[in-house]
Amino acid sequence: MNSQDSKIIYVESCPICGDGLCRIRICISNQKVTGFILCDECEAMWTDPFMQERVPTNADETDPQCPSCRQSIWGKNMHWANIGEVCLLGWFDQVQMVDE
Amino acid sequence: MVQKQRQDAAINALRMIPTKWAVIIVVAIIGYVLLQPQINKWFGLSLPSVASLVGDEKQTSQKKQEKFDSNEKTSTTKADSKASKAATEEKPDKDDSVNKAPTSQPRVSQPRDSQPRDSQPRDSQPRDSQPRVSQPTVGVERDSEKVHGFLTEIGRNRFESPAGLVYGPGSEEGHRLKHIERHLEDQPKRPGSHGVFEGDMHAFLVAIDDAYSRAKSGDKGTKKIQDEGSTIYEASFKKPIGFLGGQEGGRKRNPPLKQLRVVVRGNSLITAFPF
Ligand SMILES: [Zn+2]
Ligand SMILES: [Zn+2]
Repeated sequence: MNSQDSKIIYVESCPICGDGLCRIRICISNQKVTGFILCDECEAMWTDPFMQERVPTNADETDPQCPSCRQSIWGKNMHWANIGEVCLLGWFDQVQMVDE
Repeated sequence: MVQKQRQDAAINALRMIPTKWAVIIVVAIIGYVLLQPQINKWFGLSLPSVASLVGDEKQTSQKKQEKFDSNEKTSTTKADSKASKAATEEKPDKDDSVNKAPTSQPRVSQPRDSQPRDSQPRDSQPRDSQPRVSQPTVGVERDSEKVHGFLTEIGRNRFESPAGLVYGPGSEEGHRLKHIERHLEDQPKRPGSHGVFEGDMHAFLVAIDDAYSRAKSGDKGTKKIQDEGSTIYEASFKKPIGFLGGQEGGRKRNPPLKQLRVVVRGNSLITAFPF
């Protein structure tokens, strides 16, 4: 469990499945930090918190892939964003926070 | 005078040696008795047991003891697989930070002659122990051959329902079964809606299969929505199958829910919950 997991940082409830939270997933790969939006329930993905552009997934994948490194979204390089990372991405105004 | 001193020293040494050696010999015998069956198993040797060196009658009882030990080992292996229920998604390729580590594991008594499992050489495991591969590494409950009395194992950590839904590794929890387990209880602090199924895992899996089958066939009261790589199936039930939880559910006083939403990718289940 991440140290920042005491807070859930999310954009909104998932418009696709209704039950999920659209949260910020961080990928750190090749010294590059990428953020994208991931529903923690149905695994729908968007490129940013404005949620205009979907990240496509294939029906044959078990785990969807990170749009940056193409590894599993649940892989070692990935974690939920902490507040610092959200600020770094410039997405702080788009998120809500709640104690886990 | 010098000779007398030497004699005294020799007598003292003779007095010392028997006690020292007696202790060493006793320790060596005890060590041999305890380790001999294990050494034979590990290295395929046939060192004689102390009982067999003493006589036939005792050898028989030794064999009985060995048989008892192996029975104990088998039952411990089964117990171990149940113990894994609490927690053990072995998910080396997944984010460690999201692994829900067990807070406590059921204590399983170790057979007297066994070492910790991981210290056993893999290629010399006793024949009566189950191969590690067939043991579920995810927290699943097995009733005879079926997982949760409903799913058939079709591969490592992959289980199939009668309707053809596959529950495999994935999600933040490491396994889809672990993920949907979250919908067996409310999470009142979670923002938004959280559909809670009222029943146990078996009943939940049966309901998911029922909803999936009906929606796939396009039965009345069902819906099928295609979304990117996934398909969302929805099906109504005649009676409530759960209630609305989460913060939203709390605000609405947890109304009963009569529909089930099933999200799949291909035939792999992603998630399912009442809504
Ligand atoms: Zn969703
Ligand atoms: Zn990546």
